[in-house]
Amino acid sequence: MEKATLKSVMTVVDQMADIIIKNEVPFCELDSVAGDGDFGMSVAKGFKVLKENWEELSKESIAQFLKDSGMIITEHCGGASGPIWGSAFRGAAKYAKGKEDLNVSEVAELFQSGIDAIQKRGGAKLGDKTLLDAIIPATESLKESAASNISMKDAMKKAAQSAVDGAEKTKDMVARKGRASYVGERSLSHPDAGATAIGIIFTEIVENMSN
Amino acid sequence: MKKIINKPEDLVIEMCQGMAAAHPDKIAFKSKYKLITRKTLNKNKVTLISGGGSGHEPAHGGLVGEGMLDVAVCGDVFASPSTIQVYNAILDSESDKGTLLIVKNYSGDCMNFDAASEMAEEDDDIMVEKVYVNDDIAVKDSLYTVGRRGVAGTVLVHKIAGAAAERGDSLQDVKAVAEKVIANVRSIGFALTSCTVPAKGTPTFELGDDEIEFGVGIHGEPGIARESIKSADTLAQEMVDKLLKDLPFHGGDEVALMVNGLGGTPLQELYVLNNAVYKLLEKANIKVYKTFVGNYMTAIDMAGASLTLLKLDDALKELLDAPVDTIALKQ
Repeated sequence: MEKATLKSVMTVVDQMADIIIKNEVPFCELDSVAGDGDFGMSVAKGFKVLKENWEELSKESIAQFLKDSGMIITEHCGGASGPIWGSAFRGAAKYAKGKEDLNVSEVAELFQSGIDAIQKRGGAKLGDKTLLDAIIPATESLKESAASNISMKDAMKKAAQSAVDGAEKTKDMVARKGRASYVGERSLSHPDAGATAIGIIFTEIVENMSN
Repeated sequence: MKKIINKPEDLVIEMCQGMAAAHPDKIAFKSKYKLITRKTLNKNKVTLISGGGSGHEPAHGGLVGEGMLDVAVCGDVFASPSTIQVYNAILDSESDKGTLLIVKNYSGDCMNFDAASEMAEEDDDIMVEKVYVNDDIAVKDSLYTVGRRGVAGTVLVHKIAGAAAERGDSLQDVKAVAEKVIANVRSIGFALTSCTVPAKGTPTFELGDDEIEFGVGIHGEPGIARESIKSADTLAQEMVDKLLKDLPFHGGDEVALMVNGLGGTPLQELYVLNNAVYKLLEKANIKVYKTFVGNYMTAIDMAGASLTLLKLDDALKELLDAPVDTIALKQ
């Protein structure tokens, strides 16, 4: 698979939804050390509605599919997750406009467009102990892979590893955004729930690709 | 977990329906976007919208009514309502004088209320202003954090901005008076127990029999320090000292005092705490102009309380004394 098509994007989003729904409770556990313990539930809620409305999502183009998904996620994920995950999908959709498929470099740009949208809404940056600490390294890794002509599968594998490593590094950070920021130093030695979730989602999707 | 509950996912809707059934003279519930609105909306006054996660009852639905809010947007337990919910609240309650959103300063609430107000301004030309309540002094404020949380002081912002809106003030004036309250209000809280979020079913954190969590917010998030249990007088002293230092409040100041229960504390304990606080304020030569004791901004079933002090002047006193007719506050 050298290029991501509408079909493969849909498969990835479908799997992403399954992984999030399956991990609802563990993701809440991750969030209860320094946060308020609802992260898994919030994200799962939106992705459950996404699965329920799967037939109604546009299958016209990658852009339209991602935009429709983003609207549902914005509306049905609770709390901070709606604007963050919804913005990411809508940002990615913006980049995908007019593209029938995506090579590694374009997948990297699609992620970048999602990151830009998250940052515009939430104002977090690298090192604030948020899910960006996993997505940004993953995206940088995709950009490097694109520059060295690595296959899509290997590029995704490396990106997943970068996401996991990035999430691991959040253990040493003090949260500056979200409810975990209120506990200051007490958030040290615990990884960020959002970043950890991104690592888990990425890894499992890559494993599915290999099978 | 022992709760009066059917399914955790139906709790918010069933609670709102129960609230509307009990008070049909004051509120109506629109279940599609989980909006608790005033029975009759007045198009000739500034619309006040607040809300946030559920679990803080009676806030925010119990603060909807004459002299306070026009709409409360209800999120899931401890989770901000979605952008779409807030946007629909703005559309549903549009008045000729514009809309003020009263937002508690949390990442999720700020993002959703901000995005919704952008939509309403850009797509529907509705005048929307926002204020962010950040009265909790437990949280260190710095350039690098999201700043302080909004807690029980929000109720006093609703009360005073609500009175100004009811009086016919312009959007800019209502916003200004809300910001004046925010600038002059401070809160601090503590927990004797954690709360239990229905969807999780177990306490968010564990506290030993001899421990309290000092500086908690209203979502069961941990506080700033784990301390050993102490007498009401000592606890009051610790809180009053911190509050007075923060604004700072001085001898001769007049204040509104709120002793707010977090949901699982009996009134007798709140009155004991009020007694201790009252004596300390008297000693500091701070005059308590008005006192509120009860559950206004809770964290589900958490045992514990928060103290709020609002520094008053004549203009704020007048608005604080204005009539109000809501489920949780009536005068």
